[in-house]
Amino acid sequence: MNFARGESKEPIMQRRLDTRSFGADSKPAELLNYKISTKNLSFRYGTHQVLFDNNLDIATSKVTAIIGPSGCGKSTHIRIYNRIYELYRDQKAEGEVLLDGQNILAPSVDIIELRRKVGMIFQKPTPFPMSVFDNVAYGLKLHYTLSKSEMVERVEKALINAALWDEVKDILDKPGIALSGGQQQRLCIARAIAVEPEVLLMDEPTSAIDPVATAKIEELVAALKERYTIVIVTHNMQQAARISDFTVFFYEGYIIEFGETRQIFTNPRMKQTEDYITGRFG
Amino acid sequence: MKIVSGLASFIGILFLTWILFEVVRKGAGALNISFFTELTSPAGIAGGVANAIIGTVLITLLAALIGVPAGLFAGVYLSEFGSYSRLGSLVRFSINVMIGVPSIIVGLFVYTILVLPFKHFSGYAGAAALAIIMMPVAARTTEDMLNLVPNSLKESALALGTPRWRTTLGIVFRAAKTGLITGVLLAVARVSGETAPLLFTAMNSQYWPKSLNEPTANLTITIFNYAMSPYADWQEKAWGASLLIMTGVLLLTILARILAKEAKK
Repeated sequence: MNFARGESKEPIMQRRLDTRSFGADSKPAELLNYKISTKNLSFRYGTHQVLFDNNLDIATSKVTAIIGPSGCGKSTHIRIYNRIYELYRDQKAEGEVLLDGQNILAPSVDIIELRRKVGMIFQKPTPFPMSVFDNVAYGLKLHYTLSKSEMVERVEKALINAALWDEVKDILDKPGIALSGGQQQRLCIARAIAVEPEVLLMDEPTSAIDPVATAKIEELVAALKERYTIVIVTHNMQQAARISDFTVFFYEGYIIEFGETRQIFTNPRMKQTEDYITGRFG
Repeated sequence: MKIVSGLASFIGILFLTWILFEVVRKGAGALNISFFTELTSPAGIAGGVANAIIGTVLITLLAALIGVPAGLFAGVYLSEFGSYSRLGSLVRFSINVMIGVPSIIVGLFVYTILVLPFKHFSGYAGAAALAIIMMPVAARTTEDMLNLVPNSLKESALALGTPRWRTTLGIVFRAAKTGLITGVLLAVARVSGETAPLLFTAMNSQYWPKSLNEPTANLTITIFNYAMSPYADWQEKAWGASLLIMTGVLLLTILARILAKEAKK
């Protein structure tokens, strides 16, 4: 890993790319709205700093992939967006994360509402210890007061949108844990989208799942981006290339490069990015 | 090495089966209808231990009602909030010490605070003593069981917007359910055979337990009194009562084991 340690001794320049300019060559300048913007976002585990001045804009209704070697801070970065890191002591974020212009790191933020708006899918499927139906209904019960029939309707809709309905419609009362790994992950997606979030964070959602199930989830991501802004952390570069519109390359807590996926994979500007995507390290 | 350890395990099993065999052999004869339905009686007069059975059940139930929730919540504190804090380690240390405190000392302690001031023995004092013994056992099992629940499950509940307390009670508890029930059953089994803490608290009585605010009949002290007596019929009833307690504890333990196995599936 003989990677430009010399260059990075200087604080690595944040390449904050104006993504607006990229669409220009393919389609008439598509105006991008940003759902999330981070400003000088840093993160510490105790005294150990793991993220350094991350500046990033996440485009609305697009898929943004975060790639980078293990331990570079990809997951840590998105775990700030819903403040899930707060479960652990000594973890501290500094800077700003603007969701629709509002800094979600402000103490006054309603964290329950934030987490309704910003859903998260984890690496390992985590069905709750209850039936398939109740798994999906769980979040709905938390955030909405619904009649029985509305509940049934919303659960069905979420399962249809998560491309799971046909497989589970006859076993809704079976425990969620009884499903296969890929089905469990789609159940978690159904559970997350049932509460109608605006952003979906996916933290290596397919790394614990077989290739066929992975393909299903990738298709699902493509379908879901119409409605949701998706940020997906992945260590699988082919996956990032296949499903994302924008790609962010993280290295040692710094954002090295950020741009349109096509550009990052065909014509990276930074040497580190090129080294990583061509498999020279990582 | 193999021979020594094999021999040692054989000795262990030998005594267990010997005890079981003796208790069944000497106690089975005492079990009849009046044993389960009649009051304890003076030696030589037919009677049963029904009042002691009811007393033991009442005292143990009340103890579980106090000790189990207290232990559960202490365990929740340790697992959910006390893993880093100094207070957490202090509580954990105290609980470990309390598990090791001899039960007769717990009995003496309750005697001084719940018997002496009221100037009479009571079932309540007995239940309090048993609850104090049960609480740390329940707390430690709860902590262990909750720690087995993967953090990712907790995180996904929180990420859905579930408040912290609802995550603990609705998701983590549910995931640890079988383990928790097993722990509670073992804690109950652990105290249901206790004698020393009842000696200075519930004492004993020949009457039906009308209220727990008076000396209350119970099986273990009855065994103690009857077994030490010179009367053959009392001695036989002591064996019968021993068989009863042993069967109860055995059933609770087996039930706990079955549940633990279910949990692993």
